Amino acid sequence: MDEIFVTFFNNDFSNNKLKKMIMKKMTPAVMRSFAIAFALFTTTGPAMAQSNPSLTDPEVAHVAVVANQIDIGYADIAIKKSKDGEVVKFAETMKRDHTAVIEQAAALAKKLGVTPKDNAVSQKLLADADKTKKSLNGKSGKAFNKAYIDNEVAYHKAVIGAVEGLLIPETDNAELKQLLQNVVPALKAHLGHAEMVQKNYK
Amino acid sequence: MSRSYFFRSLLLIAVLAIGFISCAPTELDNSEEKGAGVPQQQEYTIEIKQMKFIPAEITVHKGDKITFVNHDLVTHDITDDPGKTWTSSALPADESWSMTVTQSSNYYCTLHPTMKGKISVE
Ligand SMILES: [Cu+2]
Repeated sequence: MDEIFVTFFNNDFSNNKLKKMIMKKMTPAVMRSFAIAFALFTTTGPAMAQSNPSLTDPEVAHVAVVANQIDIGYADIAIKKSKDGEVVKFAETMKRDHTAVIEQAAALAKKLGVTPKDNAVSQKLLADADKTKKSLNGKSGKAFNKAYIDNEVAYHKAVIGAVEGLLIPETDNAELKQLLQNVVPALKAHLGHAEMVQKNYK
Repeated sequence: MSRSYFFRSLLLIAVLAIGFISCAPTELDNSEEKGAGVPQQQEYTIEIKQMKFIPAEITVHKGDKITFVNHDLVTHDITDDPGKTWTSSALPADESWSMTVTQSSNYYCTLHPTMKGKISVE
């Protein structure tokens, strides 16, 4: 674990239960990605006085949309590269479901008159996703399938932790909160599905 | 006169008796027919909510109708497990699909294989 990660968990998060939950659920690499993103945000964001990362609703909406787009990006690579029917079927479900979530989020944002706002958390997530995509694109065959599905397991664990532990508590608007809550069971089903596929690559 | 009265009474008793005997079994026959011969179709609803079939297990009679309603925001399907002998095909959000039950079966969602359900015919 590198220094910024440790710093994040020691200083920036006051909620012990959340800390434990995220520690338990995330694998180090993805955990680091989210941790750095949140740490970055708190040191550059407007709410430094508060001990928890603070996001406005337009920023929460943006993080949610970006997190979904990232998984669609991974799915597109898998649909193009994988020859394992189970992996492709999983990737198609990721693309279909995460697209549906984005459509719901966009419809809600429009209804509420909210414009999703770019922020340090979404930027960091995108930057890390670019690295992961490069790495996936450099692999093929069984190595690719394993790398893709391992990343899907880790990514869904991290996103579930972030949605439950950060985005939902940070959201003020009741409808946006409800949408995020509605997405959690789908994320958990995706995680279960990913773990099923992952068993073939142990 | 008394003789004819006697026979008429006998006839009346006989008619009443036959009527009584034939009435009771007829009613029994009717109720048996309802159970087996011409079954009355019952209708059931299984809701798909939060990535679950609710209820996940249901017991019905052959010929009953089950309607699946997708309340989630993602597309699901309902497919015989493991044989895939029947399927709803893709069932988008807010849509429903009905089937008439012919036999017991386990089913799942091929899009989200952790979602499972069971229909028992009794
Ligand atoms: Cu499904």
